[in-house]
Amino acid sequence: MLILTRKMGEVITIGDDIKVIVLDIKGRHVRVGVEAPRQTKVYREEIYQMIKDQNQASSQSHFNHIDDILTNFKGIIKST
Amino acid sequence: MKIRTSRFGEIDIDESKIIEMRTGILGFNKLNRFIMLIHEEGSPFYWFQSLDEGSIAFITINPFLIKSDYDPEVDDHTIEMLEIEKEEDIELMAILTVRSDPARMTANLRAPLVINKQKKLASQVILEDEQYPVQYSIS
Repeated sequence: MLILTRKMGEVITIGDDIKVIVLDIKGRHVRVGVEAPRQTKVYREEIYQMIKDQNQASSQSHFNHIDDILTNFKGIIKST
Repeated sequence: MKIRTSRFGEIDIDESKIIEMRTGILGFNKLNRFIMLIHEEGSPFYWFQSLDEGSIAFITINPFLIKSDYDPEVDDHTIEMLEIEKEEDIELMAILTVRSDPARMTANLRAPLVINKQKKLASQVILEDEQYPVQYSIS
């Protein structure tokens, strides 16, 4: 891992089009600004990991009896 | 176009219905093309079937059917990326996780699929709004 020391207001450039800016440092909190192209999604690691794990779990919803579950379930859903 | 899938065997796809991911489903970023297949006639459930990897399909539902006051804010970047021109172009789908105990079925309301119905472009969007859970119980 590349480790860099930066002061408030200083910037890290990644490739041609990603910039990470240290906006503010207060105690144990660092405010960071990220400029990236639209197609590059920027997330907090925790939420990224949470969604990724959930997608993984969802993709494995392939039980033999999934048809029964889904068929039974549709009666329960309250249409609005 | 014929595609081999684990779930449906070989299926014949109407190419005009292929949905292209502008940014992928997280953890499945290499899967760019999907098709929506209804679970069975009259069902609220749709399979979001990968065309790149036949073994991957997600079961989804219109989130408004399970949470009538669902009101996610789709960010401007996504609107632009998916070339959405008007609100009616947008279709939202929540990805479900079906567990062996049906009562524990959940929907991911935090990261819905946002689909431009007209242009068949889609993305999985993580909402900033923390009120929507990743595991919303729908039983």
